[in-house]
Amino acid sequence: MRRLVAGMAVLALAAAGAGCGSSGGGDAPTTADGVAQVKVGVIPIVDVAPIYLGQQKGFFKSRNIELTMESGQGGAAIVPGVVSGQFQFGFSNVTSLLIAQTKNVPIKVVANGVASTGEAGKDFGGVVVRKDSPITKAADLAGKKIAVNTLKNIGDTTVRESVRKAGGDPSAISFVEMPFPNMPAAVEGGQVEAAWVVEPSLSAVTAAGGRVVAWNYVDAAPDLTVAAYFASSKLIGENPDLVKRFTEAMNESLAYADAHPDEVRAVLGSYTKIDAKVREGLTLPKWPTAINKPSVETLAKLGATDGIFGGATPDLAKILP
Amino acid sequence: MTAAERGAPRTALLGLSGLAGLLLLVEVLPRAGIVSDSYLPPASRILAALGREAATGPFWVAVGDTLLAWAIGLAIAVVAGVTVGIVIGAVPVLRALTASTVEFLRPIPSVALIPLAVLLYGSDLGSTLLLVVYAAFWQVLVQVLYGVADVDPVAADTARSFRFSSWGRIRYVLWPTALPYVFTGVRLAASVALVLAVTTELVIGAPGLGAVIAVAQTSGAIPTMYALIVVTGLLGVTINVAARATERHFLSWHQSVRGEASA
Repeated sequence: MRRLVAGMAVLALAAAGAGCGSSGGGDAPTTADGVAQVKVGVIPIVDVAPIYLGQQKGFFKSRNIELTMESGQGGAAIVPGVVSGQFQFGFSNVTSLLIAQTKNVPIKVVANGVASTGEAGKDFGGVVVRKDSPITKAADLAGKKIAVNTLKNIGDTTVRESVRKAGGDPSAISFVEMPFPNMPAAVEGGQVEAAWVVEPSLSAVTAAGGRVVAWNYVDAAPDLTVAAYFASSKLIGENPDLVKRFTEAMNESLAYADAHPDEVRAVLGSYTKIDAKVREGLTLPKWPTAINKPSVETLAKLGATDGIFGGATPDLAKILP
Repeated sequence: MTAAERGAPRTALLGLSGLAGLLLLVEVLPRAGIVSDSYLPPASRILAALGREAATGPFWVAVGDTLLAWAIGLAIAVVAGVTVGIVIGAVPVLRALTASTVEFLRPIPSVALIPLAVLLYGSDLGSTLLLVVYAAFWQVLVQVLYGVADVDPVAADTARSFRFSSWGRIRYVLWPTALPYVFTGVRLAASVALVLAVTTELVIGAPGLGAVIAVAQTSGAIPTMYALIVVTGLLGVTINVAARATERHFLSWHQSVRGEASA
């Protein structure tokens, strides 16, 4: 109720034309028996299966953490949610975190998130075309119209790298922003000539006869670290013990998920609506506990080459643990 | 029985056959291969998915969350809109002072406030309420302002010459004149509030039907996604029918409902 009043007060101030305000949320509330109630901002996709699995297995409870997953549609809600203290932890792709770092957003990675399988032909994301497309290899993507979920982010930088490595000219690609779920229809309907998709949209495209012409994660760096869990610098400074317990529980969850693909496929049914048959056939990503630093350096370098940091250089020491 | 009531069954029948036609179209188009059935499944498959959803607990929790956000948001917007509207409307200086500010703030799309909402409330009910109230408030306020401006000057002067108190003038002159406008405002606000509740849930993942639609989208569960969209449509129709019924009930004395020609 207090927050509601605060919100209305902000509106009232705005209505009076007198600026704005903001309130910073604080630490995770702790119950009498010392259990920290932790909110984690996640995107409800395959990538975050370990945290749901870890919750089910009690890896967080055994460390006195009670998890609530808050699902956002993407970084739009998660990064500001973590910074303002609404969420204690968040999940985001590495390039978004690097962009945030160049803008001095006070956040830091606390655990690995998800990694590419590192195998062309068997990764969880790739560039697809419709079955009768004249595009057959990565070099053919030069000069084409390609859909990515967010412009100036991990999708377009890694796709450019695929094209560059195949000897094509990446500067002439025109990228179009489009949510992943819309891409299979857009590829089939010919609105775009290719699309960078991840599971389960990747399975949807290949099931309809579409072909993968580039494995952009694999091409960008060996065993690319794609995303990570992060916290605000404030929480890390004020409650290092909670962060340490979260990191431990997360690492246990990642290792467990990596070793139990069948349980991963099962837990997907609890927080997504992916069809059971599709779940069976999905290509799962890798969930190593260690962040692959050289691959993060590569993403930083690619981002700088493509000019997505606005001229700044991300300071990896400040964002990585 | 008034003319309006006699026409009601016929209108309802026409409305239903329109809906049946739409269902038939959605059934035939994908089956005939005019649109791909992977992206627009036939109506029968959407309805089957709806049946499966309706049998699950989380679905009803989501419907409840959406309706709760809608009801609380609408209530706040109506109370605030009516109070502010009458105060501003009754005091000419205030009205002149705020007119341009209202016109400036009113067209700001509620969704533009999403970053502010996330900062204040994360992806909780509070975020939904902030956006719902912002959008619905203006609908009510502007109608109330029109209503107050519509007061017959002769009636207002008469009340003043009979030395009615301010409260008496509001109660017996201003309020009855403004009431039909208030109800129009509430009816508009009720629809807008639902749209904004679902949108907020869809975009920032606040609990409710919108969040479930987002999960269905990212999961590629297309029939389920359409089934949930149908549910939001049904909620919208229900809310509109209820709002109209309430309006007719409370304004049964008013010429707009009695259906008589004005003198």
